[in-house]
Amino acid sequence: MGIIFIMIGLSLLMAIGFLMAFIWSVKTGQQDDLVTPSIRIITEEIDLQKNKIK
Amino acid sequence: MDWIKFDILLRMVMNYILKEKVNQINICYHCGEKYQEEIIHYENKEFCCSGCQKVYQLLNENSLGDYYECDINPGISPSNQNFEYLNQSSFRDRLILFTNDELTKVNFILPAIHCRSCLYLLENLHKLHEGIIKTQLNFGKKELTIWFREDVISLGHLANLLAKIGYEPLISNQDENNQKQKRYSQETQFLIKLGIAGFCAGNSMLFSFPEYLGIEDGAFKQLFGYLNLLLGTVSLFFAGSDYFKNVWAHIRLRKMTIELPILLGLIVGYSRSIYEVLSQTGAGYIDSVSGLLFFLLIGKWFQQKSFDFLSFERNYKSYFPLVITKLDEKGEEGNAPLENIEIGDHLLIRNQEIIPADAIIVKGKSKIDYSFVTGESELVNLGIGSPIYAGGKHQGESIEILIKNDLKHSHLTQLWEQQAFKDPAYKTENWENFANKVGVYFTVLLLSLAGIVATYWLINDPSKWANAVVSILIIACPCALAISYPFALGHGIRWLSQFNFYIKDIQAFERMSQIDTIVFDKTGTLTLQEDQPPRLNLTRDVQAEEWGAIYTLALQSTHPLSRQLSKYLLEKGAQKIMNISEFREIPGKGLEARMNNQSFKIGSLKFAGNHSIKKIEDFYSSESQLHFQINGEYVGNIQFPWKNRKGVEAMLHQLKSNYDIYLISGDKAFHSESLSDWFPDKSKTKFECSPLEKMTFIKELQDCGKRVAMIGDGLNDAGALQQANVGIAISDNHLHFTPASDGILKGSEIANLPQFLAFSQFGIALIKSSFVLSVLYNLIGLSFAIQGNLSPLIAAILMPVNSISMLLIATIGMNWKGKSLKDHLNQSPK
Repeated sequence: MGIIFIMIGLSLLMAIGFLMAFIWSVKTGQQDDLVTPSIRIITEEIDLQKNKIK
Repeated sequence: MDWIKFDILLRMVMNYILKEKVNQINICYHCGEKYQEEIIHYENKEFCCSGCQKVYQLLNENSLGDYYECDINPGISPSNQNFEYLNQSSFRDRLILFTNDELTKVNFILPAIHCRSCLYLLENLHKLHEGIIKTQLNFGKKELTIWFREDVISLGHLANLLAKIGYEPLISNQDENNQKQKRYSQETQFLIKLGIAGFCAGNSMLFSFPEYLGIEDGAFKQLFGYLNLLLGTVSLFFAGSDYFKNVWAHIRLRKMTIELPILLGLIVGYSRSIYEVLSQTGAGYIDSVSGLLFFLLIGKWFQQKSFDFLSFERNYKSYFPLVITKLDEKGEEGNAPLENIEIGDHLLIRNQEIIPADAIIVKGKSKIDYSFVTGESELVNLGIGSPIYAGGKHQGESIEILIKNDLKHSHLTQLWEQQAFKDPAYKTENWENFANKVGVYFTVLLLSLAGIVATYWLINDPSKWANAVVSILIIACPCALAISYPFALGHGIRWLSQFNFYIKDIQAFERMSQIDTIVFDKTGTLTLQEDQPPRLNLTRDVQAEEWGAIYTLALQSTHPLSRQLSKYLLEKGAQKIMNISEFREIPGKGLEARMNNQSFKIGSLKFAGNHSIKKIEDFYSSESQLHFQINGEYVGNIQFPWKNRKGVEAMLHQLKSNYDIYLISGDKAFHSESLSDWFPDKSKTKFECSPLEKMTFIKELQDCGKRVAMIGDGLNDAGALQQANVGIAISDNHLHFTPASDGILKGSEIANLPQFLAFSQFGIALIKSSFVLSVLYNLIGLSFAIQGNLSPLIAAILMPVNSISMLLIATIGMNWKGKSLKDHLNQSPK
């Protein structure tokens, strides 16, 4: 059963890792705008296609 | 990603087909507007004005032609507003976010952003000007961040460039800016708290698993218990810190809100857990506590839907120009920010500018349009020495004025000195919402129940009293209201925003469901100036060449009435005449010119009319009339009548059966044809109201115990909108300023108002019925808790089940109703 102690430690560490990643993403403004990137992808595709044709 | 390519291909084909079609019905290639007057041909494409054509040319020369590929006729007609004043340090320092030798960063709000073509153009702005390094658009906030080199392009030039391609920046005043910044940082803070609450809830549930399964192992129990305590502490005191702050603030005001019993439940659960873990008598309730907190925070996050591109807080300052032209002692002109006006200053006011403070005219003559302030659109003639009040719009040649009062003490701004404006929490604190009202009873009931139970057990079995009280306080926590309230109303706000009805917050949504009286403003709200069909009243036959001359004359002016006239005459087949001479436009009066040795005049009654005809009583038609004179002979006039907005009659008819409806207006006379059927009772209409009278009218209704909604548009309604339980501002244009209000409704959607009100009532009914359900839950739990034998297991299961079922009821119910509302509105003919 001792293994469970290690497992708990690992799972908690992983969860803390994800939490840190989330906080970092909020602080660097990645959650500020969730709309624009989905539109941007379309305009970028147009540029790419044009370049291929040329 | 093949489907994206397919999507683009499909769009391109659709664009091609639609463009072909679109070209047949004569609309501008750039902005999609129907041609007003002349068509400009350029590169086989047609444009409505030279502005649009120039934008097209500019974009094409800089290989940004793909702008037109992303969407159909995406452009906006350019604006000519000059933003040079932004170069002044008072504006520059405020707007610029960051600067060094290399680059400068600035944020602009561009309200015109609306489609993916906008994104394409604005993010390729560096191709238009070498001074621009990089741009980044935030579509939701309609905000463009620009990194540029200030030594190559100045801030004012940059703003001018944006205006030139159709995206006029909105320069908000200092207060609005600060508020926005504050809200953004609060939102960031909140999101972090939400993340941490979720983390604590998830992990503490994991550590409580052995307890759920009934595994007995001393070592684990202790470890898990301590870990749980750690998580619970972080969850309650960091993620839940707002609850402590709010409850404390309310206690100091001697008020009880729904947050008090919630916090009580959380604290009791937490304290009990500490005791159980430390004394090794149990596993505690940490999982329930942190789980509940997480749900509550999700609810809070859900309710704070903000419409960043709208402002619900504008006051009179937003209506004034940001810069004014000051004259120094030598009479030289200089620009100064609005705040710098002092008594005794001489200002230069140009045509169409707004008077920034009470003053007297020193030089020149003016026609002042006070419609902005009073709602009355008759022009007032003023000469030297006349007093002139802030908020009036000057028409005519430039005048010089001497400031008599500063902005804060001027006639107009007195409205904002009223109680309703001074108290920032006027609405939120004075109208108890359902949740808080119930919360008070709930808390009292809960505490007395706990008291009775404690006394009972202390007498009969002292070992059980603590257990029973703790269980009662935890289980009876009113999470139903705390969760279904934000979810149901948050969904409600989202749905209504799909129909162009933007509501400030969920409290406003709730107040909307409770109203029983609706007061309408007339001008701009129920009525609208329509360009067709105009009425011609001629005193003699007018020949085709004469119509041609009048048409040519009307073409020379950009005045709205002239444009309407030229459009009307074009449809009637008038021909343009080339030789025009001695053309003059007299601002506020009319136009005159000579053509084919004849003189022509069009304009107001005074300017071109016949002095013998009596001034028409109806003041609307007097405002929207154009008179014609040929060689000094009066030949007649044309009227562009005011019309009701579409669907207004049906809307009033529907509302009449459920609500008390009133009509107030700043206008002088009542154009009785169109609306009198719906307001037959004279006591329910009021005319010639000043803004202050409108406000007191609402207050009088409220004093009679009515819950009033005010529907209005202009600054003249600002007081009434603020005073009313719900103030809804009508707006036709995203650039248009609306006064402070609880909701902003697009003008064309006003006909659906009864449906929107019914929707808000459904939302509240849904909350009430889910509250009944949760009371049932709580009764079951309480019946165990009172007996003192509620196991932690049941408590831990009952609480999340309760929360989740509330969440589901609110979400499913509101979405179902919203969808049926959408179907209903799509079916009904527009």
